[in-house]
Amino acid sequence: MNRIAIERKVLSENDRIAEELRTALNGTDTLSLNFIGSPGAGKTALLERTLERLPRGTRAAVLTGDIQTENDANRLRRYGYPVRQITTGGACHLDARMVETHLRDWIGDGLDLLLIENVGNLVCPTSYDLGEDAKVVVLSVAEGEDKPLKYPGIFRKAELMLLNKVDLLPYVPFNPELARENARRIHPEIEIIETSYTTGAGFDRWLNWLASRVERKKVSVKPAGEAVATA
Amino acid sequence: MHEMGIAGSVLEAVHQELQKYPQHRATKIALRIGEFAGVDPDSLQFCFEALVKGTELEPLELEIEWCRLTDGRRGDELELAHLELDDAQEAVA
Repeated sequence: MNRIAIERKVLSENDRIAEELRTALNGTDTLSLNFIGSPGAGKTALLERTLERLPRGTRAAVLTGDIQTENDANRLRRYGYPVRQITTGGACHLDARMVETHLRDWIGDGLDLLLIENVGNLVCPTSYDLGEDAKVVVLSVAEGEDKPLKYPGIFRKAELMLLNKVDLLPYVPFNPELARENARRIHPEIEIIETSYTTGAGFDRWLNWLASRVERKKVSVKPAGEAVATA
Repeated sequence: MHEMGIAGSVLEAVHQELQKYPQHRATKIALRIGEFAGVDPDSLQFCFEALVKGTELEPLELEIEWCRLTDGRRGDELELAHLELDDAQEAVA
């Protein structure tokens, strides 16, 4: 028997493109977030309210992924920011190539913020790096508290969990404390913000989080450039 | 659900490696998959077999090493580890 070591990632081609995207987005100080959640968790509604409340003058853009239809892009376009729909035609996740293809001419626009809404799915999008700065997982109270335990991958990789649709808590048997506890069992450092599109609850905190990350991106990228210049 | 795509990427890698060893047939490809990689090993095994069936790679075997955090692994592995080849065939004169 002959054994040959290969030792590379299965998705090395995706990761290579993602790294190119990351470099390009770092070059323009663009904060890029990858939103992942089940179908119906409220990702699009969250983004709608977010776009509606972004500080004036924010240069933001949205890529939204679905298997079929332009419905989400049509909803998101009403807020005056550039929006593109990525229809995957069957694939259950976005990959770096799809993002690169749809992003291309936006990179030179010097965006502050790129919001990527992944295909509704808690599993497959987890494996594909899109060159983002952070993954944000959206879990709604209409789902189960044990989702973090059942689908640990995304809760492990996400920096922030938006516990969404909290306005429904009086009507559903969902224990938010247990959901937080489960998420922290999988990822002790995960940040958690409770949100509601309907009441606007949690949006001050969420928009503060967003603003501080946009700011941090501008600060964090610059010194590296100066270090190169003085080296 | 995306295991079919992952299986396809694995087979692409096998084809690439085999180009370096034209006298051999591949018998087994070994992967490392972490518990947080978002890949279901049974589903991947199923997709892999479906893609290999009826091709010149049949009967190529897929071996999955399951990597858990509690065993000191990262848990997000999705890596090709090694490829096993049969003994070289004599070139037919």
